[in-house]
Amino acid sequence: MLYRTAGQFKTSYIADQALFPVKQDAFLLGIILALAWIVFPLTASEFTFQTLLIPILIYALAAMGLNILTGFAGQLSLGTGAFMGVGAYACYKMVTLMPWMNPIVAILLSGVFSAGIGVVFGIPSLRIKGFYLAIATLAAQFFLVWLFEKWAWLYNYNASGAIQVPNLEMFGVFVSGPQAASVTEYYIVLFVVTLLTLLCINLTRGNLGRTWKATRDMDIAAELIGINLMKSKLTAFAVSSYVVGVAGALYVFMWKGAAEPNVFDIPLSFQVLFIAIIGGLGSIMGNYLGAILIVGLPVVLNVVAGTQVFEISTPSAILLVALIAAATFLFWVARSLWGVGAAIGFGAVTLIYGYAQLQGFRIDSALIEHINVMIVGGLIIFFLIIEPHGLNQLWRLIREKLIIWPFPH
Amino acid sequence: MKHFTKLAIAAALGTVMGTATVAQELYTPNLAYRTGPFAATGIPLMNGQADYMTLLNERDGGIGGAKIDFEECETGYSTEKGVECYEKTKGKAIVTQPWSTGITLQVLPKTNVDQIPILAPGYGFSPMADGKVFQWAFNVPSGYWDAADMIVQYLEQDGSLEGKKIAFLHLDHPYGKEPLPLLEKLAGEKGFELLPIPVGLKEMQNQSAQWLQIRRERPDNVVMWGWGAMNAGAITEAVKTKYPMENFIGVWWAGHDADLKLVGDDGKGYKSISWSFPNQDAPVMKELKERVFDAGLSQSNAEEMQGVFYGRGVVMSMILSEAIQGAQKNFGTTEIDASQLRWGLENLNITEERLEELGMAGMVPPFSTSCANHTGHSGGWMLEWDGSKFVKASDLLKPNTDSYADLIASAASEYATANAPWAMNEECSATN
Repeated sequence: MLYRTAGQFKTSYIADQALFPVKQDAFLLGIILALAWIVFPLTASEFTFQTLLIPILIYALAAMGLNILTGFAGQLSLGTGAFMGVGAYACYKMVTLMPWMNPIVAILLSGVFSAGIGVVFGIPSLRIKGFYLAIATLAAQFFLVWLFEKWAWLYNYNASGAIQVPNLEMFGVFVSGPQAASVTEYYIVLFVVTLLTLLCINLTRGNLGRTWKATRDMDIAAELIGINLMKSKLTAFAVSSYVVGVAGALYVFMWKGAAEPNVFDIPLSFQVLFIAIIGGLGSIMGNYLGAILIVGLPVVLNVVAGTQVFEISTPSAILLVALIAAATFLFWVARSLWGVGAAIGFGAVTLIYGYAQLQGFRIDSALIEHINVMIVGGLIIFFLIIEPHGLNQLWRLIREKLIIWPFPH
Repeated sequence: MKHFTKLAIAAALGTVMGTATVAQELYTPNLAYRTGPFAATGIPLMNGQADYMTLLNERDGGIGGAKIDFEECETGYSTEKGVECYEKTKGKAIVTQPWSTGITLQVLPKTNVDQIPILAPGYGFSPMADGKVFQWAFNVPSGYWDAADMIVQYLEQDGSLEGKKIAFLHLDHPYGKEPLPLLEKLAGEKGFELLPIPVGLKEMQNQSAQWLQIRRERPDNVVMWGWGAMNAGAITEAVKTKYPMENFIGVWWAGHDADLKLVGDDGKGYKSISWSFPNQDAPVMKELKERVFDAGLSQSNAEEMQGVFYGRGVVMSMILSEAIQGAQKNFGTTEIDASQLRWGLENLNITEERLEELGMAGMVPPFSTSCANHTGHSGGWMLEWDGSKFVKASDLLKPNTDSYADLIASAASEYATANAPWAMNEECSATN
């Protein structure tokens, strides 16, 4: 009913192959873009920018880079953190050696360095596959972090071994460093992320994307139909590392402001890999959903735990109720009773928690942290059980059901 | 229906009471780490800090009549969480206590913009001592360079260091590298050979390679800049390789009772430089026990309260409360704001008499700060493990701050240039 596709006729090949053949999809995306470009920047607080909006976008971009390699081309990589580091250090060296350089250009160029390194470490993929390749990329991870620690030129011989983002100006406005306003940083991140997302969507839809998918699904068959495996795998490494490198530069320059080498260590690689897997391998939108779940949710839960549930402002109360109602409805459409239960359960737990707060119940922040980790872990397991192919697949199912709703199969 | 009315009334009451209490509160959040890999060292410190503030709230009704809201925001020592906590609390906080070198480095450049003082007692970036450059940052009562200088002084008491070899076992991390510039300078001046041995974050618990190197090189002394699991790892490894414990000296974070209890008597003679001492006879400790611990307001336990780190937490909260009190007196207002607290921290004068009044004699050396000197350079004592607890093994050591004032100034101005435009305190005429 809401998503009826009847009557949307395609009369040309161009219309049939459009990015969004279904009108509602384009409409939905329009709403999301309007939110991201207009509504959020106008309403968000400093806290929201720094802990939700900016990190979610950056992590989603990093996961998208990894997804091109692992999800589309089928090459497992555990070196994402280190490739992000290459981007960050390259950007740092560029802006300190050439202070006249436009920061956005520097960020976009820093990906070129990580692409080069990525290709070098991708060469083993021509001979080895699967877990063995994962180990080879793990070697890249350890080697590069070691290099960031030992090669003092990279961090300008700073005594503490950390890189610190200088104040960068663009047309008289600070865009990076401590003097920059969060909203400026947000717009730059959003611009770069939007640009690269558009690029990635079209790359994966095009010739190159098909080559990657063929390589992923069965490399021998791909070779037999005339795909050059070397070209396919190395371009995947190059494009993936480029995106990951840009994400790394954004990570330090637009968000953290300073970084020591061990920031880029293996936990970061795993975090990005988790986002890609939970979001859905071989998808673009999944990366955003995964980043919201893994990066955004813990922050939201922390805030919820710290506020008096019955004292929140009316707009946020309406938003909360609307979100729970929407989740319940979508799960119900998808015939996922577990999902309906979880959404309603979440609402019920919030109410009970609010009631307990009124009775004088307080939990200290360490306990909140423990519970938070448990909830996020539980949700990851929950989503992987109801949809092993990730959040993107979950959305696709819901969408298909929505198209024929209210009639079941 | 009746139930809902009750709920609504309760909610309304809660709002009214909530606003009523906020009016007379000093919000001094603490970015605590009671979880994560460093929790074992964090918990006693956090308990000490929180308990002293509870004592003030219970005994004196806060500071100058305003209650202290010493809320904790859990970071688990992670930089990302730390920044999240900073953003969350900075709206109404009058001070930031970042609690890790990583978080300090991250928050430091924002201080000039947000104008909230950072209180990093005895940790963080050593050049923060230069108050003219780092207007908003304080690492009282002593910094890492002071500690390195005092350790070298202590070693010199046994004769010249000429031709000796000193191994510097440190965490391969900004924190561990912090004293290197000063130690290198001292090595050049005093003629000893400095042998830096880094311990990677992943090798903290397995330092066999590093100790093999120490056994091979046979240094006269080992100086350790360790943290968390690294300390226990190094101490047990030193016992295993039979390194003479009396030649082994740690920084003040490497003097945690629990790490030494693992080896007990075998650790006898191990030393740690410290600018705090858990004086069990101090009246404040008795009061803490009676009014906070026995009243069930503490998360601590009897054993922990005797430790070095608990006492250190108490001292840190004392420094903050003294600064608040000073600011309240100077500005004649109970509810001070962040910039007024900055004045308070900049004009600390903790004398022997004041410590006596506070019931904290012997727990921290007397010190004072100024607009140029944000560290205080209190000096400290060498503590020695006697098999069951730490005891004072030296008189008060004072760092030769003058000898490295240039180093502080040049490192500070380097930082300011790298972060240009960086606002400095031009009015200040005092010297460090």
